Amino acid sequence: MSAQPFFEWMGGLRFSAFFLESVWPTPIVQCIHLVSVAVFVGALLLVDLRLLGRGLKETPLPQVARAAEPWLLGSFAVLVLTGIPQMSSTALKQYYSPFFWWKMEMLLLGVILTVTIRRKMASTEESQLGPVWPKVVALTSIALWTSVTIGARLIGLLS
Amino acid sequence: MLRALFEWVDVMPSSISLRESLNGYVYLLTAHVVSMGVVAGIIGYWDMRLAGMALKRVPVSKVKSGLFPWMYGGVAVNAFTGFLMLYSQPMRYYPNFWFWLKMGLLIVVAANAAYFHLSIEKTVDEWEHDPVAPFKARLAGYVSLVFWVGIITTGRMTAYSGLVPRWWIDLGLGQ
Repeated sequence: MSAQPFFEWMGGLRFSAFFLESVWPTPIVQCIHLVSVAVFVGALLLVDLRLLGRGLKETPLPQVARAAEPWLLGSFAVLVLTGIPQMSSTALKQYYSPFFWWKMEMLLLGVILTVTIRRKMASTEESQLGPVWPKVVALTSIALWTSVTIGARLIGLLS
Repeated sequence: MLRALFEWVDVMPSSISLRESLNGYVYLLTAHVVSMGVVAGIIGYWDMRLAGMALKRVPVSKVKSGLFPWMYGGVAVNAFTGFLMLYSQPMRYYPNFWFWLKMGLLIVVAANAAYFHLSIEKTVDEWEHDPVAPFKARLAGYVSLVFWVGIITTGRMTAYSGLVPRWWIDLGLGQ
């Protein structure tokens, strides 16, 4: 089953037309999206660096994870909300862009990793984690979310 | 005089070859965005610690020693890619309202950071375990947060060189 009809429907919505036809809403949404990227990366790095044994290494891992979580979830929610109009107003461009699908695949993997293994690991007593797995999870997390960012930027530049 | 400098760079062979490179700008802008996340993300947490918004139980000096080396790494990539984008397209940025506003905001955050590190931070030993820092440190944190939002926003808006205040055009600055 092709997703094309869904993208055509999305592109034809009045909501999409509003963003295409007005001047300021798109840049405003893009700016909020980019500020949220910074908040998200900060919250992500805080925990990933800690899992690597770097960063706030003298602070217990669960405490670092608790400090990061509200900002990680909050910025993710804003990223999704501001991502929707950018996707729907250029629906067919997104559909035909390989980078859009690459971004969505990496995003799906990133979310799965973050809400399962990484989340469980971050709330576990460190002595039970061993030396290797936290680093594997942190590097995977960094690689996935960097891929999301690169894919996102290339939709605009190369599609 | 500034215009002459930009025009001089614009015709340099190295500037032209980077400008005409097929994917040079793509690589530069992508690396600029990724490194921006690292820089602004880490500075954001540092500012929030000072402002009393996050990491309240982590001593201020530990936040600095743990996170600043990574932030400096991000700054190196971010500044380098930013400089090369400017170097390769000087006459694209010269008339751009958002570019100059962003440079102005960067000077403000640099001055704010310098003032903090050279004065307020001198007494950090006395308050670094306090969940909420003294007023001056909190203020430095808030100022930095607000201006970093401005830097990211004006950076994004650089792509919209036509969406600028009327006076910028009327004064003949947009060309």
